[in-house]
Amino acid sequence: MSEKKPVTEFLAEATEIVEGLSRELVVLDEHRGEEPEPDRLNSIFRAAHSLKGLSSLFGHERITRLAHVLEDALDALRLGKVMADDALIDAFVDAVDALSGLLTMASRDESEGPAAERAVALAQHIESLLSQGPTPVEDPLKQLGLEPSVLHVLTEYEEHRLRENVKKGVTLYKVRAVFSLDDFDQRLTALTAALKAIAEVVSTLPSAQASDESHIGFDLLTACKQSAAELTRVLAPYGASHALISASTAPPRPRPSAPRPELGSSSELSLRSLAQTVRVDISRLDKLMAAVGDLLLTRSNIKRFAEGARAAGPGGLHPLWAQELAREARALERKLDDLQKGILEVRMVPLGQVFDRLARLVRRLLRESGKEIDFEISGGDVELDKLIVEDLSDPLMHLLRNAIDHGIETPEQRVAAGKSRRGRVRLYATSEGNHVKIEVGDDGAGLDEARIRDEALKRGLVTATKAPQMQRRELLNLVFLPGFSTRKQVSELSGRGVGLDVVKTNLQRLSGLIDIVSEPGQGTTFVLTLPLTLAIIRALVVQASGHTYAVPLNSVLEIVAVRPSELRTVEHRQMLSVRGQTVPFVRLSQLFKLPLVEVQQHYVVLVGLAQHRMGLAVDALLGQQDVVTKPLSARLRDVRGFAGATDLGDRRAVLVLDVPALVSEMMRPADAGMGNL
Amino acid sequence: MPSFEQLLEGFLYREGEPGLPGLQWLEDAPVPEASTVEAPHEYLAFQLTDETYAVPIERVREIVKVPVLTEVPRAAPELLGVMNLRGEVLPVYDVRARLLLTQQVKPVGGPEDVPSRSRIVVVRSDDGDAGILADAVEGVARLLPSLTEAAPPGGTQRPYLSGLSRRGERLYILLDVERVLE
Repeated sequence: MSEKKPVTEFLAEATEIVEGLSRELVVLDEHRGEEPEPDRLNSIFRAAHSLKGLSSLFGHERITRLAHVLEDALDALRLGKVMADDALIDAFVDAVDALSGLLTMASRDESEGPAAERAVALAQHIESLLSQGPTPVEDPLKQLGLEPSVLHVLTEYEEHRLRENVKKGVTLYKVRAVFSLDDFDQRLTALTAALKAIAEVVSTLPSAQASDESHIGFDLLTACKQSAAELTRVLAPYGASHALISASTAPPRPRPSAPRPELGSSSELSLRSLAQTVRVDISRLDKLMAAVGDLLLTRSNIKRFAEGARAAGPGGLHPLWAQELAREARALERKLDDLQKGILEVRMVPLGQVFDRLARLVRRLLRESGKEIDFEISGGDVELDKLIVEDLSDPLMHLLRNAIDHGIETPEQRVAAGKSRRGRVRLYATSEGNHVKIEVGDDGAGLDEARIRDEALKRGLVTATKAPQMQRRELLNLVFLPGFSTRKQVSELSGRGVGLDVVKTNLQRLSGLIDIVSEPGQGTTFVLTLPLTLAIIRALVVQASGHTYAVPLNSVLEIVAVRPSELRTVEHRQMLSVRGQTVPFVRLSQLFKLPLVEVQQHYVVLVGLAQHRMGLAVDALLGQQDVVTKPLSARLRDVRGFAGATDLGDRRAVLVLDVPALVSEMMRPADAGMGNL
Repeated sequence: MPSFEQLLEGFLYREGEPGLPGLQWLEDAPVPEASTVEAPHEYLAFQLTDETYAVPIERVREIVKVPVLTEVPRAAPELLGVMNLRGEVLPVYDVRARLLLTQQVKPVGGPEDVPSRSRIVVVRSDDGDAGILADAVEGVARLLPSLTEAAPPGGTQRPYLSGLSRRGERLYILLDVERVLE
């Protein structure tokens, strides 16, 4: 899993690049013979460059090599070092095919095959095309047929002017003039001036072919837009002649053909896009999910019709019809379940996306902290809903910073405490059914109970009478209060007392839970429990005072049956003991001000919000069901305690409890008296 | 498990059922001569107790039989509850107490709590669509703007009304949907 995911990601990204490359090349291909647009060349160059970087990151050497060669070729091309001639463009097109082939191999986890050989051959082919000198055959200068002796003496600017004129299609002439040594300077000046009136004199070269010792010959490389006759007229007074040296006369010499590598069997050349991935906005998936939710309701209705039809007996539908209806309803149910699961899976991404980023940051923090810490990370392959994963990075970062900065002691302190010099910070994720557990732990000094108590007292967060009665767990939970910090030194890394508050808020938004496990001297571990997805939730259907409600199961810790006599009262609040832990108790009917029904025993749904726990008593438990929560109307925004409404399949709206809101409501001191029956 | 017939009953309107919202035109009086050039506005007319109220027809999304309503704890008493309209959750209000037509809002849990002629008029609104419980739906009335007057001054229900309109002998009280649902 952890091996496969990066491959998928690599393939998706690489394929996207290759497809882009291919699109640009098609345009280049269509405009063969024309000068390629600089922008297009640049964009192809960049694509090749990114592909090179990406493939080298993932260790795909052949792709890296071919992309590298492509990059070189395109670089040469965009700098005008080579011409975009047919051979090169063909090679590019082949290279993109070869890259696709290599990606196919990567997707099949193959390391050898015809595609690989072709890629190697192509890389060499392109290199050979490039290696034909800094000014290969496609240089217009070479096509001019000028003697090497002439070419050698041209300045770079003169070469440039010649090329430009060739490009513009201006005819080039070699004007040959022979003057007497006596007055050659005036005559040459005059000739040049005359020529300049109708042409551009690119270069004036002394000719080696002087007829005798009293004369000197000159070759004037001239670009002339006028007709040859006009040139003849201008040259006549100087006794000069001209010869055409335009590229148009020089037949383009065929590129010394480096054999184009064979393209391999056609089966290898697939036109199909390789990485079968699409990028989808998550809101589209939300819409799909909502549609599936509605279908689920329709399904329930059909199911009820089917059952009703059967129960109606001879008076209702024909029994065969009723049977058919029931069968089709079941088929629909199965398909819809598949559809729902499918959409949920699409939304899932590995936690590794966040873990990788965190790991980089942690390494930086470790360097800065000056402490000796080993960082362990695991569970990056555990998958969660995309939206949840994105919202996790901040809370996890805060927790990791806390562990590094506050959790782990200095090496000296550790040695003094009889521990190893090096501390350990862990980031673990495990999948547990409908939940994912993420642990951020350290083997540091642990949370200091006494200091937390003192700090809470000092800040007036607890009363002096209450503080001594607080259990360790309650005390530890104080660290989640806004502004709470026991650390005297303000650290650059963690800031002061903001982190845990943020962690709590973020987790609440994700319907997550957070627990602190901390032993003095042993270290501290924060355990985050998160639902797999927020799109469809599993709900516990309960009844209170005759009304039906849905409680999101991701907020439910456990359910216990309690007799009224087992309740205790602490400070006028009803409390319940669950495995040695005392939690506030309230009947849902009380919270909702519904008429109370006398019950033999309460079904207490233990719910949690971040670090808080509460026992919510209901009259009956009706079952569990997957539900899609529809928001309540904006008109009801002032009504607290409901996350929305859902349909359990009987076309009634059933309210879904907003457990975080209810818990916070209960935790507010003003409502302390509520638990008093 | 309700019987098949009961389930069907929830879906279908039966022929001859009282108060079937066939939305007939209310042609109870001749159009006054002077106003033949004036374009009438269409309103949905419905009864609240024994008075006839009207809302602009373009405000009306649909008219449904009273479904099972889910009570929302701790909400305002005018809110009868929420209904599930083909997957959409809509609040349903009883505005009669607000219009001082009744002393207090009587809880309604479903069709069994209201007369068979009762309907829910689902209106479009900026703040979210909502249902208004009507004692009966009369039909579509064409009312002339020129015959519409302001609500009588001093009436305590005045803020919820946008005016009065006459058509022949009949008086239509024009309801301000946004305000009465506030």
